[in-house]
Amino acid sequence: MTASTRRNLIAAIVVLFALTVVLQVRIDPTVADMNQGRKTPFAGLSTEFILGPLLGMQQAVAGLLWVRADEFFHEGDYDAILPMVRIVTWLDPHNLDVYITGAWHLAYNFTDSSERSDRRYIPAAQKLLEEGDANNPGVYDIAFELGWQNTDKIKDYVRAHYWYKKCAEERKGMDERGELTQPVPMFVWHQLAHSLARLGRIDECIAVWRKALAMSTEIVRKDPKDYSKRNVRDSERHNLELTLKRKFSRYQHEIDWELDGKLTKGIDPITGEPRPRDSYLFLNQDEIQRKLEQFKIVGETPPPMAVGQPRPPAVVPKWETAFDVRPTFTADKVLELKGRFNVGDGARVTIRLHDEDWRPPQLKEFTFDIDQNVTLMQDQHSVRQGTWGRKIDMSKDPKMYSFKSPYYFLVFEFDPRGTSPFVHDRFGWSGEGMTDKKYLWEEKEKDPPNRILRKVYRISRAQVLRRTPITEADVFPTAKYVELQTQAQGTRSE
Amino acid sequence: MVTLAIAKQTLEDMLRRKILLILLIVAVAMIALGPSVGFLSPRESSAVLRSLGLAVILLAGLLITVLTGIQVIPTEIERRTVYTVLSKPVQRYEFVLGKFLGGLFTVFVMIASMGIVFIGVLRYQEGRFATEMIQGVMMTFFQMTLLGALAIFFSTFATPVVNFFLSFGLFIVGNMSAVTESLLNNKNVATRLIAGAVHYAIPNFGNFNIQNKLIHPQVVIKDMNVFIMQNIAYALIYSAVLLLLAIIVFDRREV
Repeated sequence: MTASTRRNLIAAIVVLFALTVVLQVRIDPTVADMNQGRKTPFAGLSTEFILGPLLGMQQAVAGLLWVRADEFFHEGDYDAILPMVRIVTWLDPHNLDVYITGAWHLAYNFTDSSERSDRRYIPAAQKLLEEGDANNPGVYDIAFELGWQNTDKIKDYVRAHYWYKKCAEERKGMDERGELTQPVPMFVWHQLAHSLARLGRIDECIAVWRKALAMSTEIVRKDPKDYSKRNVRDSERHNLELTLKRKFSRYQHEIDWELDGKLTKGIDPITGEPRPRDSYLFLNQDEIQRKLEQFKIVGETPPPMAVGQPRPPAVVPKWETAFDVRPTFTADKVLELKGRFNVGDGARVTIRLHDEDWRPPQLKEFTFDIDQNVTLMQDQHSVRQGTWGRKIDMSKDPKMYSFKSPYYFLVFEFDPRGTSPFVHDRFGWSGEGMTDKKYLWEEKEKDPPNRILRKVYRISRAQVLRRTPITEADVFPTAKYVELQTQAQGTRSE
Repeated sequence: MVTLAIAKQTLEDMLRRKILLILLIVAVAMIALGPSVGFLSPRESSAVLRSLGLAVILLAGLLITVLTGIQVIPTEIERRTVYTVLSKPVQRYEFVLGKFLGGLFTVFVMIASMGIVFIGVLRYQEGRFATEMIQGVMMTFFQMTLLGALAIFFSTFATPVVNFFLSFGLFIVGNMSAVTESLLNNKNVATRLIAGAVHYAIPNFGNFNIQNKLIHPQVVIKDMNVFIMQNIAYALIYSAVLLLLAIIVFDRREV
């Protein structure tokens, strides 16, 4: 090779190398996009797994770790799963199932010996899902899971509605290739409607059912032989009619459901009035008498009522619930409850015991390390024939119930928004038909306002350890409790 | 023509190597066993199968490329067959290019075989031809093209053992492009300079890792086709740089 040839080759090398730098500068932003949410290739990995990511096989290592985590799940070793969830989401931030399953583990599977969830993990579960949602914009799955967890586990219907709305209006479903080209499944819209009902926003709920029904009708028109799609449409029609009927019965004129099942099935989808009109008229004097007795119980003056005239709505007159409870620690950390509640069988009372200074934490980023010193217990109990009560043994799980705080709040609650339709039939969606001489609390900050029942005790550690009994002098004002609970709460990601 | 003749001879020679065939058989077997992870949910199972399949192709491709790249020239020198070849009307650059192309054809045959089996397994598992996986297999091939050129360049002056570690080491460093790229914004000037030098000077193998998009198709990458073309151009141009360097070094080498 001559010197000039070599010089030319070196010049060519310099030019070509400069080209690679230019290309690299153009490639970098796309690579950064693809790596969104991913930590360093080997973050948190033990030595046997490091080589894979170093060779550019993060996804494969993430897949193998997830297979191993699945084995741990079947072995019941839930503690081992959490670090793996963290590492897998670092290695492969687009694996939706890892976020969803990991958050489910956190929120549901850590329990005490009586199968009560360790609710200290719930903020972590929420944060993990929020991180997953941020790393996978456009995908509906994780937003839906956030909605569901808030509905089913946390009973925070405001946040549930926020996520379902986001999910229904801003997200996409995947086609068979896994690309985001499809509208979200109809069940997302269904959950959005249910969440609005839980918030007492019934007109908006009805509007969503109408919208879902219109969409499904169009889907069925295009594919009339698909019976699963027809089933979906029929369930939407049923839910729309049922909501219209319930709204009518609870807030306009009470429907006599016993009159004739066939007659009251019909409803005008436009006016929301049941067909025939007979179903909400007083048909005889006995019916009027029964209604009069309800007014008498609560000491209200009844409106004029006559045969052939419409009945007052179900929420009129208000129903005295006579809610109360007597808690006793019968042994160290063993709480026994005896309560009464004048409501239909099956309504559930929520029982919560937590450190006096505990507030729902607002995590800045996901961590599964929880404060082991916090005591937070939550349970529910059903009412049977006007009474309720149970024994809650917290002595067997010192890791969950450390009782390190000097004082605790013991809270008993009934929130009509989280209850069953048969209770709504009497109280309305937001407790409009419910009253209580002692423990009624109106959540005026909500829209529409919600009427709940709440009795709060402030108890000491000595009382938990049965050194002194709990008395009615320990009852704490609900207004002050609410004020304390809303203090020092940060804002969530939305 | 001389270059192609050398390439053909190299390909035939490489395909006779038992070690490469064993690697291919093991890799194909691993891909074929992929559906055995089917106890997960369908979506998880699909993700694991895809990620493992692509990883096996990458790992096997890596070993095949390095083993081929570090041997093709030193073996000729060791066996002294290089004297016979270079005593004929064969230019040294033709020899280097022929050896590179021969090695590249070998890698192509191996990766294509694994790719066909992989897509076949996905067809069996998912009931459709996952044609998008061709992109992943293709990107692995171009990644290996660049690695092969690097190994050929080192083989012009380094022993096979040294070459193995050099190629392998640079592959690992080049795979950490996400790290070096993030260090480009570091507050420390020295760190920025070193990261910049590593990021732009060392072949950036991390560019080719598009597995995430293929495993999770919901990930939206703007101008995916442009990105793939940029990477192919990067692989070809950088390989050309390395081959030119190899030609210059080999030209001055006494054999």
